[in-house]
Amino acid sequence: MGIGKKIMTWARIKSPWILHFNSGSCNGCDIEIVAALTPRFDVERFGVIIRGTPRHADVLVCSGPVTRQIRDRLKRIYDQMPSPKFVVAVGTCACTGGVFDGCYNVLGGIDSVIPVSAYIPGCPVNPEAIIDGVVKLVGSLEEGKSA
Amino acid sequence: MEEEKTVNELVGEFPFLDGAVRVPRARRIFVTVPLDRFQSVFRRLVEAKGFTYLTTITGLDTGETFTLLYHLAAENGVVCTLGTSVPRANPEIESVSRFFNGGDIYERELVDLLGIRVNGLPKGNRYPLPDDWPANQYPLRKDWRPEGAPAEPAEE
Repeated sequence: MGIGKKIMTWARIKSPWILHFNSGSCNGCDIEIVAALTPRFDVERFGVIIRGTPRHADVLVCSGPVTRQIRDRLKRIYDQMPSPKFVVAVGTCACTGGVFDGCYNVLGGIDSVIPVSAYIPGCPVNPEAIIDGVVKLVGSLEEGKSA
Repeated sequence: MEEEKTVNELVGEFPFLDGAVRVPRARRIFVTVPLDRFQSVFRRLVEAKGFTYLTTITGLDTGETFTLLYHLAAENGVVCTLGTSVPRANPEIESVSRFFNGGDIYERELVDLLGIRVNGLPKGNRYPLPDDWPANQYPLRKDWRPEGAPAEPAEE
């Protein structure tokens, strides 16, 4: 890798900025994501900052199954993120659709719309599992893989 | 207690309700009315008996009819459920949004998910189904099948 690319990769590994998006979840996983950002579990020590816009984000942290209404919006948010970008599906509903799989308005997990880099199961997800997932994602960046 | 007084007054004013009122426990009243007297009983409960809060509206698919339950609450803690039935062949009912401005959201759920026609709803978008949902698919009816849902949109 050239020196410029090495610096960019180092910046993304040392400080991945996230955007949190709820694509139809009951909010249980959203509460746990916010809890992971609080001082008790503190995912911010990895340099993670939560941003308000996809254009500033490296990682899209997404909870909830994909409903018909949210499908186009989720795709648009993913398209607005600059490359290289990663998606973390938080919760059983985001991984596979969970208990709502097959319901009349649910298309399935996040990966039915956008490519997912990391799956974190749980209902709701333990904040320590979120930290584990983030660490694994950052570790895979170090080895040079990307979305 | 407080609900006894309300029940006695109600049966006094509407004699056809005799036998249609049930009080299973403290502060809980269940009333069943035929559809043609529904508006008058509802109006009386809201305007004169102190039930100033519409908690929610429940719609049930009960075979030949749809049962509608309007849950009303009063400041003193009494909750009254006013139940009525509409025939399945012609499911039509007047809106209660003129008593409760926010009540149209529950009625729109009845319209979208059970296919009940509510007359007098204010202008607004459909709720909760998406805009591209086909016209006469009512997911919460007992005889609805998932094949009626639109096919998944093709990936670009």
